[in-house]
Amino acid sequence: MHDRLTQSMRASHLLALLFVLASLALAAMGTATDDTFYLRLGTEALIFAGLALSVDLLLGYSGVLSLGQALYFGIGAYVSALTLMKVPSFWLAMAAAFTASLLAAIIGGLIANRVRGVYFALITFGLAQVLAKVVYNTRELGSSDGMIGIPVIEIAFGPFSVSTGSPVGFFLIVLVVIMALYALTAYLLDTPFGRVLTALKSNERRVPFLGYSAWRARMAAYVLAGVVAGLSGALYPMLRGFVSPELMFFATSGNAVISVVLGGVGTLAGAIYGSVLLVILKSIIGSWTEHHLIVIGLIFMLCVLFLPKGLAGVLRPPVEAWLSRHRRIPGPVPDAPVLPAIAVDTKAAPQ
Amino acid sequence: MTPVLDIRDLGVSFGGLKAVDQVSFQAQRHRITTVIGPNGAGKSTLFNLISGALRPHRGQVLIDGVDMTGAAPERTKAAGLSRSFQITSLFSELTVAENLRLAAQVLEPVGRTLLPISRSTRALAKTGQMLDRFQLAHKRDDLVGNLSHGDQRRLEIAVCLASEPKILLLDEPTQGMSHGDTAATAELVRGLTDDVTVLLIEHDIGLVMSLSDHVVVMHQGRKLAEGSPDVVRADPAVQAAYFGHA
Repeated sequence: MHDRLTQSMRASHLLALLFVLASLALAAMGTATDDTFYLRLGTEALIFAGLALSVDLLLGYSGVLSLGQALYFGIGAYVSALTLMKVPSFWLAMAAAFTASLLAAIIGGLIANRVRGVYFALITFGLAQVLAKVVYNTRELGSSDGMIGIPVIEIAFGPFSVSTGSPVGFFLIVLVVIMALYALTAYLLDTPFGRVLTALKSNERRVPFLGYSAWRARMAAYVLAGVVAGLSGALYPMLRGFVSPELMFFATSGNAVISVVLGGVGTLAGAIYGSVLLVILKSIIGSWTEHHLIVIGLIFMLCVLFLPKGLAGVLRPPVEAWLSRHRRIPGPVPDAPVLPAIAVDTKAAPQ
Repeated sequence: MTPVLDIRDLGVSFGGLKAVDQVSFQAQRHRITTVIGPNGAGKSTLFNLISGALRPHRGQVLIDGVDMTGAAPERTKAAGLSRSFQITSLFSELTVAENLRLAAQVLEPVGRTLLPISRSTRALAKTGQMLDRFQLAHKRDDLVGNLSHGDQRRLEIAVCLASEPKILLLDEPTQGMSHGDTAATAELVRGLTDDVTVLLIEHDIGLVMSLSDHVVVMHQGRKLAEGSPDVVRADPAVQAAYFGHA
């Protein structure tokens, strides 16, 4: 069966593949030129891409706007930092961040999923602000200064190991983790479970009458998004060597929403492109003026007004069309048979 | 034999208004039972109480002898009850086929929930079957939001049927339809009783009389009369309350 979502997802996969190739090119160039700055910047963009991915899962597929997704990103980051300071193990830090963000998202979901629409956005915003303030005022977590001195660790894969201190090595690790999160999310959306999520966005009130619990589906989406954000956040202290309460503040959540809108809501790959675009814009505009947020705000407004489907909204349809053309070759014969068309061409040529 | 749907003394109030009050009736298997009554008689509220959209304040709803009073819509659905809406309620951003498949997905074993959607072969086959049966095959990839009103109303019934329910609640399926579409829909509803028990809300009296096996008349939240179409038509109380205004 021809499936619209499966097909548009294929286009997203192609965009994601192009992204990976571009990233590998950056890694190769970075290694050749012995660069640290751009690789580190790229790694940071990728980490925030994970957060944007989690926002897009909620906004683009289950149709709810979370203004506090940084909550789970921050929880992942702090738990990872605390773990790394005790035991310098990548896998343990990721497992701890996974567990913590899972539990936090279940609790947060139970609270936030009691309401819909604007109220959902406000509650998620409030939850994140409350926890950020608690962290901000907790001396054991470094209060407003955050925690510094997170050690550089070796990430072991059997006989191989990569240091988080190696710009290109860690860049590649983060690329693998974020693309794995992308693949997981994309896979789940292409299952019956995922289709119930998209149904929620289209007409939530009808969903229970088809036999699905709308509440359970909303919870599942929220918890999945929380875990994606948490695992992305866990990578942050490995890159920067510190964590601070700002990671949970609205600016972080807001940036993720901006990334998704710039990149294209409901495309997944767009969230990744959007995040990189935002980091690039910030660093370029930030080098001209310290008031770069004004410019970013203007760009965001222009994007909403004139490019409401975002970057992927522009890039994806042609990719989709190209993909379906290339898939139809062994399939049914197109409207105009190929041979006469060539014959017409040869006749037309002498004129 | 236990009736497939047994409504006992059902009631709900909104503030001081008794929207549905002491309503009891049974729907017999593979028959068409129609609920009629003037606007505001409580017909749609009754449907909401039966399907779980509203929780009754009193009374019972039994599906196949099992008490489903106040159960959430997904549970009454699982018990075999499917309903349509007076105002079309579909997934307008999805295609015709996607709407049907979403409904048919409940036929699949739970184990396939997290497998790729292309593995859900039963739901896929059911979708194809419904597309053919409701003559929507040529529109399978159209977004539902772009369909004509008549097509949307037909799809609404098809979506309800795609999950193979035992009982089908149709809330004014011909609402807003042209004369020709209404006749076609009546024919379609008549053909449904091979598979399901139909509970219908309908305003078109001619249609009600020709289609129904059993008619329940409601007036101001209460059941005024019930019986075969002829018995109901002859009832003086019904004539006064309902046909008198028609």
